[in-house]
Amino acid sequence: MFALAGMNGLVIGAIYALAALGVSLVVGIMNVINFAHGELYILAGYFSYLFANAFGMNFALAMTLAVALVFLFGLLIEYTLIRPTYGNDMYSLILTFILSIVLQNAYLLIFGPYPNKPPNWVGGSTLILGSFYYGNQRLAALIAGSAVITLVFLVIKKTWFGRIIRATSQDREMAELNGVNTKRLNMLSFGLGCALAAAAGVILAPIFPVTPTAGVPVALTAFVVVVLGGMGSLWGCVIGGLIIGLVENFGAAYISTAYKQVFSFIILILVLLSRPSGLFGRREA
Amino acid sequence: MTDRRFFVILFVAVGLLSLLPLGLGVYHLHVMIVSLFYVMMASSWNLLAGYTGQVSFAHAAFAGIGAYTSGILAAKFGLNPWIGVFIGTILAALIGLGMGILCLRMGGIYLSLTTLGFSEILRIVITNEYEITRGTMGLQVPGLVADYSKPAYFYIMLGGAMLTLIVLYKLIYSDIGLNFRAVQNDERAAASLGVDVVRMRVLAFTVSSALAGMAGGLYGHYLLLITPEIPSLDQQFLVLSMTVIGGMGSFLGPIIGAISLEIFSEYIRAYGEYHVLVFGLVALVVARFAPNGLMGLAEHRLRGRRKASRTVSAAAG
Amino acid sequence: MTLLEGRGLSKRFGGVTALDQVSFSVEEGTIVALIGPNGAGKTTLFNLVAGALKPDAGQILFAGEEITGLTANVTCRRGLARTFQVTRPFATMTCLENVAVAVVNSPRSRANGTWRLSAHECLKAVGLGDLAHIEARHLNVVQKKRLEIARALATRPKLLMLDEVLGGLNTQEIGQAVDFIRSLRDEHHLTVFWIEHVMGAIMQAAEKIIVLDQGRRLMEGSPEEVVKDSRVIQAYLGD
Repeated sequence: MFALAGMNGLVIGAIYALAALGVSLVVGIMNVINFAHGELYILAGYFSYLFANAFGMNFALAMTLAVALVFLFGLLIEYTLIRPTYGNDMYSLILTFILSIVLQNAYLLIFGPYPNKPPNWVGGSTLILGSFYYGNQRLAALIAGSAVITLVFLVIKKTWFGRIIRATSQDREMAELNGVNTKRLNMLSFGLGCALAAAAGVILAPIFPVTPTAGVPVALTAFVVVVLGGMGSLWGCVIGGLIIGLVENFGAAYISTAYKQVFSFIILILVLLSRPSGLFGRREA
Repeated sequence: MTDRRFFVILFVAVGLLSLLPLGLGVYHLHVMIVSLFYVMMASSWNLLAGYTGQVSFAHAAFAGIGAYTSGILAAKFGLNPWIGVFIGTILAALIGLGMGILCLRMGGIYLSLTTLGFSEILRIVITNEYEITRGTMGLQVPGLVADYSKPAYFYIMLGGAMLTLIVLYKLIYSDIGLNFRAVQNDERAAASLGVDVVRMRVLAFTVSSALAGMAGGLYGHYLLLITPEIPSLDQQFLVLSMTVIGGMGSFLGPIIGAISLEIFSEYIRAYGEYHVLVFGLVALVVARFAPNGLMGLAEHRLRGRRKASRTVSAAAG
Repeated sequence: MTLLEGRGLSKRFGGVTALDQVSFSVEEGTIVALIGPNGAGKTTLFNLVAGALKPDAGQILFAGEEITGLTANVTCRRGLARTFQVTRPFATMTCLENVAVAVVNSPRSRANGTWRLSAHECLKAVGLGDLAHIEARHLNVVQKKRLEIARALATRPKLLMLDEVLGGLNTQEIGQAVDFIRSLRDEHHLTVFWIEHVMGAIMQAAEKIIVLDQGRRLMEGSPEEVVKDSRVIQAYLGD
């Protein structure tokens, strides 16, 4: 049971890290929290379900298309809702919260309250360390999640675009003075943040089927991960995601399944009490 | 607005409203009672969002704290519901105070995140602690008055709404209210003038949470059945929409928003459970294009007309 | 007597050192100017003193007591008031309300009379008496700067810290402003610590000038000494 819980923790942790990266990227650059993050995660799940099950697309193609569509949707949200409120953090909180409820109710209307599940990529299971069998789909999710996270790090650490992102999240005014088009950068990073939520969604949907409100706990956990890791810190997301994933699963295995979510909330409280800027956060705002 | 004018308007409005039970049937009276609950909720949420610029997603959760505290004390321990409502209010205030101290050092975004988490946790706890809360089945609780009657509850809720509005008015139009608005406008400038920003935010959050707790307590004893619906995020969303559509940061806005949207939702409920979706879309459009809501629009038109008449008289003179 | 003293103040942002081991003093009842090229660290120094930022190293003493690391609202209550380079009015509040915020939070101005009266006096002092009931967002840049000064005065400070208040004024207005700031010092027994780019005004008004360059204190002296100093000339003209 210990090893199984640990393995589950790793898989979920990787996905939390992915979802949190999306939140953190947007916070770092725009100082905006997208409260509809979870609903975009779910939207990607629905898209991949729709394309693969109803249109009979290959699962990989369906996933790519789903992520791309959510990315475009993210650009649209930034353009129509976020951009006009820029500089007023409160309105972006309110707008994205309203958006999340609207999307939840729209999903309910379109897809109904029942869980929908895109097809598995692989079947069967593998014997891990000679001690227990573990579903191949979950292993594939872990690999895919890690691959996307690596890709994000490569882009941010190695490319020209990444340099601009880092510069802007450190000092926005300086970046503007040096000719960075922050409007376009905002739009792009918001879209990317949504795309990361989508990536998490399509990877996890075959394991945890999507329902209209299934995004709420995922988004909440992603927010906790961001606070735990430190707002705007990318490494913080990865480490924080893994910590929360493991804590939840060990907690569920040994203490209580029903209170799985509560553990991450307790961690949030502990972080706020002891080290409010998070593990990797800058001490000073 | 001067003190005198406020109290005159308030007492005239309350006086007129208290005639309603004479003319309204049971159903319409029910709608009015629910409206008054939302007036309390939206007005007290407005203290946060409209006057100090912070967003709590746990306002419905605090109503839930009030309702369940009072409900459990009455149903399990036979405590007088009035005392229960009082204890529920105090408990909501204390939790609000603790959460405020915890988050608000770090700024508004942390409050929004933590309150959202808190709402979800409260939902989980209520659904899982079936023995105490009866989960999604709902907890049956005794009423506030011995003989159940809609008019009696209408007057109770009217009294609650009146109390809420007086507390809010006194706070907003005091030196503290001045500090609240300074914090909302620009916290760095406020701090540079000696305003203790964190303290002001915590104070606003505590008062607002306490008022939500009171509203929830009274409402729970009206419904006689307390369910996780009271502290749900959907409920939170309704309160938020009413405030946004009515007009954040204006005293009258949330009152108008709450009453009109509750009545409106009763109408569209006849066509199925679309009211949340419809409210959402309306709120989205209002928040985006008229961030000061209906009151903002009204004021704008009024001011435009005043300006026009001034130009006319200037030209004439 | 020294009213404000900084000892070895340092501040870094990420990898950039904004202030490096800066020491200075401001004597009670004087007008002290803080000058230096763009990016020299002037506003950062103000932010450290006023408590908007915490220094990485060093000490700040005010009226003989250490105030290092105290938050802005506490330093304000101790008698330190500042204006912002980019003005920060409470946009949706009237001018009178803007000033009233300062009045109700000041432990010194609370005692005498109702706040409305006292707030009105401060507005009148900066020439905004007629605009008392106008929302601050309708003011122009120069009026906003005046409003900042009125708010700062309303806290009844011992030390008034001005951050480029002369921007956007013409020569005649600059002359009036300098006279006004001098009269404040004389009538209200203020000490003025003043960041300014307009050298003419500084030369007229300041008793002492502190020059910062690239986060370091280049020199400190009377206006005559400063204009003659080759390092200052180089910092402004050369690279």
